[in-house]
This record gives sequence, structure tokens and C-alpha cells, in this order.
Amino acid sequence: MIQPKGGFSQPEDTWVASACGMCSSQCAILVHRLNGVVSMIEGNPGSPLGMGRLCPGGPAGIQLLYDPYRVNHPLKRTNPEKGIGADPRWQEISWDEALSIISEKLRKVRAEDPRKLFLCGTPVSPSALAFALGVFMPAFGSSSGFICDDGHRGMAQGITAVRLHASSATNPDVTHCDYLLIFGCEAGPADYYGFTTMAQKMADARVRGMKVVAVAPYMGLAAGKADEWLPIRPGSESALACAYLNLLLNEYGLYDAEYIRRHTDGPYLVGPDGHYARDQVSGKPLVWDAADGKAKPFDEGAGDVAIDGTYAVDGRECKPVLQLLREQASRWTPEAASEVTTVPPETIRRVAREFGEAARIGSTIVIEGQELPHRPAAAIYFGGAYGHDNAWLTSLAIELLNQVVGASDMPGGLLGCDPLSYGHPQTEMPRWAPQVDDDGLLLPNEPHNWRGLGGWPVTTCLLPLTAAVRDRSSCDYQPEVLINCGSNLLMGLADPEVGFEAFKDCFVISFNLFSDETAEALADIVLPDACYLERLDPLPDWLGHGLSAGMGDWCYHIRQPAVEPLYERRHSCEVLLEIGQRVGFSDKMNASANLLYGLKPPHALNPEGEYSWEQMTDSVCKGWFGPEHGLEWFKENGVLTWPKRLDEAYWKPFSRARMPLYHEWAPRFGEQIRQVAEESGIGDIDVSDFLPLPDWRPCRAFQPQPAYDLQAIHYQAPWHIFPHAHQNPWLEEVCRSEPYSYFICMNSRTASDKGISDGDPIWVESVEGRRLKGRARLLEAIHPQVVAVVGNGGHWAGGLPLAKDRGVLFNSLLTFDLKHIDLVSLAIDGDARVKVYRA
Amino acid sequence: MRYGMVIDLKRCIGCHGCQIACKAENGTRPGTLWARVLEQELGTFPNVRRFSLPLLCQHCRLAPCVEVCPTGATQKRADGIVTIDSDKCVGCRYCLMVCAYGSRHYQAEPWTYFPGNGVNPYEAMAYASHPTGVVEKCDLCLSRVERGLQPACVVACPAKARTFGDLHDRHSDVTRLIDERGAFRLREDTGACPSIFYLPP
Repeated sequence: MIQPKGGFSQPEDTWVASACGMCSSQCAILVHRLNGVVSMIEGNPGSPLGMGRLCPGGPAGIQLLYDPYRVNHPLKRTNPEKGIGADPRWQEISWDEALSIISEKLRKVRAEDPRKLFLCGTPVSPSALAFALGVFMPAFGSSSGFICDDGHRGMAQGITAVRLHASSATNPDVTHCDYLLIFGCEAGPADYYGFTTMAQKMADARVRGMKVVAVAPYMGLAAGKADEWLPIRPGSESALACAYLNLLLNEYGLYDAEYIRRHTDGPYLVGPDGHYARDQVSGKPLVWDAADGKAKPFDEGAGDVAIDGTYAVDGRECKPVLQLLREQASRWTPEAASEVTTVPPETIRRVAREFGEAARIGSTIVIEGQELPHRPAAAIYFGGAYGHDNAWLTSLAIELLNQVVGASDMPGGLLGCDPLSYGHPQTEMPRWAPQVDDDGLLLPNEPHNWRGLGGWPVTTCLLPLTAAVRDRSSCDYQPEVLINCGSNLLMGLADPEVGFEAFKDCFVISFNLFSDETAEALADIVLPDACYLERLDPLPDWLGHGLSAGMGDWCYHIRQPAVEPLYERRHSCEVLLEIGQRVGFSDKMNASANLLYGLKPPHALNPEGEYSWEQMTDSVCKGWFGPEHGLEWFKENGVLTWPKRLDEAYWKPFSRARMPLYHEWAPRFGEQIRQVAEESGIGDIDVSDFLPLPDWRPCRAFQPQPAYDLQAIHYQAPWHIFPHAHQNPWLEEVCRSEPYSYFICMNSRTASDKGISDGDPIWVESVEGRRLKGRARLLEAIHPQVVAVVGNGGHWAGGLPLAKDRGVLFNSLLTFDLKHIDLVSLAIDGDARVKVYRA
Repeated sequence: MRYGMVIDLKRCIGCHGCQIACKAENGTRPGTLWARVLEQELGTFPNVRRFSLPLLCQHCRLAPCVEVCPTGATQKRADGIVTIDSDKCVGCRYCLMVCAYGSRHYQAEPWTYFPGNGVNPYEAMAYASHPTGVVEKCDLCLSRVERGLQPACVVACPAKARTFGDLHDRHSDVTRLIDERGAFRLREDTGACPSIFYLPP
């Protein structure tokens, strides 16, 4: 039996305000502690993040804290043989011995070439991730950091959020929305930004009468709650979105011309070379002034600028961007899209019309006494739609639905989560605002780059892949040490072999809650991490993904220990600080912290000082919110809130920045990548997806192969979006009491044609020869050409005995190479072309 | 005074959050679910609907479990909450047989969540109130209600699907929702007259 550290002889009954850490939403929680034992976790009604409610993962954190299989002491590998499924033969060692070994390795690497240190983090701990990637790594001198999550679907949405919403995440404004079109997204019931906040707002909207149409191959909980489900073939979503664009622009005339003229590059003229036509003097993009019958720089055009037609400018035939978009979309007739998607043409027509009419183009709404455009229709999407190697084109196509009806960042439409912040009224921290570049377009700025973490290249699957295939003659450094901060990268990307190959020759240091698959296969030293109920974190919602868009309050939280770390567990941030001190670069860590957290005197850290994690956290709190809001204040109060201003929630009507419908950078970027690939001997890579306007290209698994008649996908359920969910006995119990979690779902008719009955053991085998075995669950709520698996089960680590052999590891079906990646957004193709047969 | 609950199926997202909040609040043993969620699909592809149905003890006005209990362990309080006194329960399970909602659970063995590892500090605290050889079930978080709080499943629900209150108070949220939204009860045919109402999806 686990004994809590320290004796609690006094009766104690305390509530601790903190932040959940079971997924990246980081909802505000209240933890009930009785005589030193955590007895209950509830949502904190004082915070807009979670609004006092919790998903199933929230209270289940108790069983994470007290799981007897947690790693409690530093462990050293004694089996020199590394390998997937190998027994590491852990030996308990002291913290001092572990840190001595680690410091020696890091001292050597830092002296030779610091870039040889790689670091992998998990978005489930955004604050710790920010510290590791934004403080520890720059101070060490390496930029080889990356993020690994559970099922890597890339950052296509991040790119569009940055480019089109001045934010790092988006949310539909469901408070004012009447028609929500969902593509491959569990908004409301599960995997989306700010789960519990969204669940409440979506429920309110459903009762109010908002219509929801869900496009998805499998009817998950979101599609189950929708008014209408459009079953679709995986990876064909952009064909459907292009057909909607075609109908809105070319048939129904349901587009917001005023919005397009004022808030987008719709009127910008594009030459036959694919670039904006520019003024020869100022270099500014040109528009066609219809009244004057001539081209003018975009900021000199009068009201009557053309958004369609063809014009001769400097002897070249130029067209406005919107005209190009019309032409591009026109090939996607409902019939053509239906052939690809299997959605009937008449349904495509009806939904396009409903969406366009629901946007009520031209209408206004009064919010806080100010009249603003009202566009109560939004199209949203998540990994289910963009988790393919055509991710960029899919995201762009869906995103532009919001743009053409003028619903992007307008009340009722699709909003950036936190595009404009004036900061706390007393300190004006944190502060950022959408900027405008010389072309009049939205300029990516804070918080666009994941708050200083370097933007989407960090969130990439590319680093482990290139580490694995890196040609030792063409690159002057190799990974030598890997620090893994809590991610399970072998299971979380795709084909576990690739992740293993990438780092098998490294010295691997792993902060872990459990001895998981990655630790057992790769780690030389495992350090027992403190879980979220045992540790202190400033700004737990560092990425700002959890905060719902629209009106409401800003909120900043603290995460504080509900109990002191049990056994010898220690918070990874504390340990990284100590490593910096031991290796001798704590001065640089202090300087990096000042940069990342924006600390200025008197709260800036002295580079020569030695700070504890508590002191650093206190400086961050005071640096952002003033001396009266230090760590002690946050420990007492948990959360600091203040109301959003109208133009923080709805910034666009007040901004000059135009959103690009036309992504001029994309072809140029593609060409650069192609050249680099050619020069470095990687060879022929396909950059045909680097298009400036949306289109549909089949993802790899879409293309039919003889005998391989199905596409395998994975979907999200609310009890599955947590790492190690299967190891949590309460969540595991949900899986067993629920009909789908431990099965491979397939359409009844498809199964019957193959002689498969409900409950039969089956093999799912990919074209590439990867296969997994499970039991069939036959249902109607799935596309006939699809098999679907929830989350990522199939654990094999000895350190996760409850999770072991529960469910199947979908990611093991996925091929992990350059051909299966969207090179624009770095998404791995999240489906596989498969055949299914009885085992 | 008659405590009851309204569960709005239009709001419910089938996330099982109620099940886990109940687990955490009441610390029941493995396999015992005072709150649970049933899933069902209706129709044939592509015209399909999915439904989630959260279940708990229905705290029936004319509860057959109260009538059949030979020892008086199961009682109906004046406020409508049906309770079990585990000191009086002899584990005959007659009540399990008459409950139309499968809301009662017989605790046969002292099961724990990490077999072979004893009990963790949370379990050590929680299982003190879960003896074996007796029947147990949802008591609408009586200990919370007595402190003026709402049941754990009600405050946790991320879709705000649950409303708790006095069915006899004509101005309460529960009676308003029942009147406005066409509430129904499960298995009205049993005549047990449950205190848990559902709003249509």
C-alpha cells in the first residue's frame, strides 16, 4: 500500500485551487484534500476555463496520483540491449547518482556541439513544455526540440489560425452561431480546444436551436449530437468544402462582397506568374479600381474595387484573387465532389445553401452597445479532417467557407481564441495585437508562434523522422542525447519502429509518470516526474488553447501541489533547473526565462542568481500581474480574471489587416523545399500540394488498391484523449462499460459481405503489410468503406499493467515516411489503406 | 419536499463524466456504477442516430425496493431520497430483482482497482463506507445535499445536462424544465413513479 509522505495527524479538510493536467485544455479545478489525501476534484466555478465543470478525465486524476505503478524513484537501465518490448531491467538509483550521470553526458555534449541534444515534450503539460523548449533548450544551445502528441495530425489548423485569425487556435462563436458545420471534429463532446468550456457552450447552443451538421466517416459523439450526419470518405473533406465554395460563389451568390473587399485580399490582382501584381514604384499589391478603370495600389483603391473579371495591367492579364478562387472552385461541381466524397449531390447543394443563408450576410448585431456584422454560421475542423497528407488543402478549403460568407472573426462565426490582448488592467501584461504587413495582410505576431516556442516547425513529426533517416555524411551533427519530457513518442506518432530507430543510439533521459513503451525501449535513465496534482506551474494554459473565444473573461491560473510529491517524485522543471546549475549554464537559463516570460526589472531574473522553481514562478506571476499578484496571491486565489473588451473578442471590424484568401507564399515555399531536398540528396519529393488556393488531392490511403478495399481511421472519445487513459482504472472501466472502445468498428453490411460477425476476431492489414488484430463491432453509424478504432490503446509496456493489451494501437498501421506526410503542415497521413479479414 | 433530477438528453453528450464524478465522490468499488451511461444506435446507414442514456437510481415515489426489503434497510426519506442502511442490509438481493432500472448493485467481494497492490490512500479512505455482502446504490449524494450542495454528477456534467431540485416546488428549475420541455420518465409502465425525469434529445 502507498503511504503518503509525512504523517497527517491533524484532521484536515482543505480545497486547493489549481489546474487540471489530464489533457492540454488545463481547466481550472478545486482539489479536495482530507487528512492529506486527495478525495475529490471538481471544476472551479470562478474560472472561465472549464466554467466549473469537468470532463470524465478531471476527477479520474485521483487514480493517476495514487496509481501504485507510478515511477517513484530514479531508474537506471541495466539491460544494455535496447528494443521495442525489451525488458530494461530497471535498477533504482539515487537522485544524486542520476543527476551526476546526466550532468556528465550533457557537459560533454555541450562542449562538443550543443545541437546534439534533442528534446521532446508533450502538449499535455503546456507550461512544462514551454519551460523545456523555451528556457532549457535555448540556454543549452540547441534548437532540436519537438512536440509529440497522441496521434500526430500536424499543424494545418495552426497555420490557418495564425494566417487567418491572428491566433494559435480557433473556436466557433457558438453563443451567437445558428449553423455549425463540423468537419472531423469532436467539438462539444471531446477532442477540441477547451473541452469542458466548449461542451457547455455547445449544449446551450443546441437548446437555443443552433443547427449542427457533422461531416465525418464515423459517427462519433459529436456527429451523434448533430442534427445531421454526412458520412464521408476519409481524406475527401476538401472536395466537399470546394463544392460548397463553388456553390456559394458561382451558383447561389451567397458571399459577403463587402467583407471580401475590406477584410481580405479578394480584390488583389494576381498575374499569370501566380504572384500578386505590384505597383512598380511602391511595390504594393494592386487592385482594379472599376470607377477609374485602372489598377491602383491596394490602399489607394476607392470603394468600387473589382473582385471578379480579368484586367490588363502593364501588358499582363491579371485577375482578382476572388475571381481565381471562383475559377478554382468551379471544377468542384456537386456531382464531381459527390463522386469523391460519396455525399449525394442534392445534399451538398442543400447544405451549401443552408450554410450561406444562415450566415445572414449584411445583417448586424448590437453587442455592448456597438453595432457589428452578424454572421451566425461557422465551419470548423480538427484532426479528423486535416489528419491526412492533404492537410493544408483541406484546412484552407474549410477555412475559406468562413471567409467567403464574412463569418471569420465576426460575431457568430469562426473566431481566433485570443488574437488581441490589452493585458491585465494594472500591468497591461500580456499584450499583443494583430499587425499589418506592407502588403496590407495580417502579420503573424505574438501569440501566433506558440508564445515564443517557434511556431509550427516545433510541433512537427519531422525531427524524429529526419533523425532516423539522416544521412551522416550530409549533416554535421547527429542526435547524441535525448531528453524526453513525458511524451510516449513511440506510440504517439506512427510506426513505432521509426521513433525507435531515430533515437536508439542516443543516451536517453526520460521524465515519466510510468515506465511506458518509450521509456522501456529507449531510456537509459528514467526520472520520476511529479503529476499535475503534485506540482507547481506558472501559466498552465501557456498555449492559450483552453480559453474559449468570444466575449467573457480573460483568466490566468496557477497550478499548485494539492499534495507534496509522493516518494521521490520531482517536477521536471525543478530538475531541469538543477541540471542547468550542475552543468553550469543557469545564467543562460535565467536570461532565457526573462525572454520567454517577458520579464522586465524589477521582476527580471538576475542571470547570476540561483533560483528555485518557486522563486521563478513567483517572478513570472509578479512580472505579469504586478507585485500584489505574486505566487502567494495565486496560491490563495488560484485564478486571476478580468473582462474582455469588445474589440478583444471581435477585433476584425476594428482592424485594417486583410486575411489572405490567396496564399502566395505556398508555391514559393514548396519550390524552396524541393530545391533543398534535391541539393541534400533526399531526391524526388512531391510538392504539388503547395497551392495558393484550395483544391482536393487524394491522400495516400485514399487511392484504391486491389483487394485493399477499406480505409482505417481512428477517432476520439472523451474518456480517451488522455495519455495512459487505459492505465486509469476509472477510465478503463468506462471503456469496458461502453460498446465500442475495445473493438474495431465496421459497417454491418461491409462486415456481412466479408463473412464477419459481431465480436469476431479480425485482422486489419495495410497495403504496406502492417497489421493489427482485434474484435469486430458491427454498426450502422460508420461509412461502409471505413474501419474505425478509438484513441490509441494496445500498450505493451510492463510498467502499465492495467493498460497492457487493452484495445489496439492504431498508429502502428501508419507508415511514417516523407511520402505519407503533408509537407506544408507536417501532418502524418492519419489513415491507412487496408483489408480486413477474420483472424 | 421531494428531491428529483431532470436530465436533458439534448444536452447530454454521452461522455461518462457523471460516472467518473460519482466514482470520485462516492468511492465505489470496481464494477459498481451508481451512475452509468447506456449507448444505443437506431436506424440503418446512412439514416442513423446515436443516443446516450445516463442512468442512476430513479428514487421512485412508490419504490418497490422499499416495499420488498425484509429488514427495513431500504427506506424512503421524507425528502424523497431512497437510502440503504448497510448495517441493516442482509444482502438478500430481493431489491435487485424488483428494480426495473438495474440501479442496485450487490457488493459480493472486496474488489479493489489495483489487484495485488492492496489499496491506495484514496481507496483506503473510500472503501470504509463500502462493506461487502450488502446492496448499495446512488443516494443522490445525500451527504452533499445535507450540506446544501448539489450531487457530484450534477455539478460535474460538462454539458450542464443535469438539474437537481425540489419537484414539489412549482418555481424550481426542475419543475420549470419538466413543464416547458415535455419531460418523460423511464418505464412509466412499472407505476413506480420515478423522481428522475428526462428531456427529449
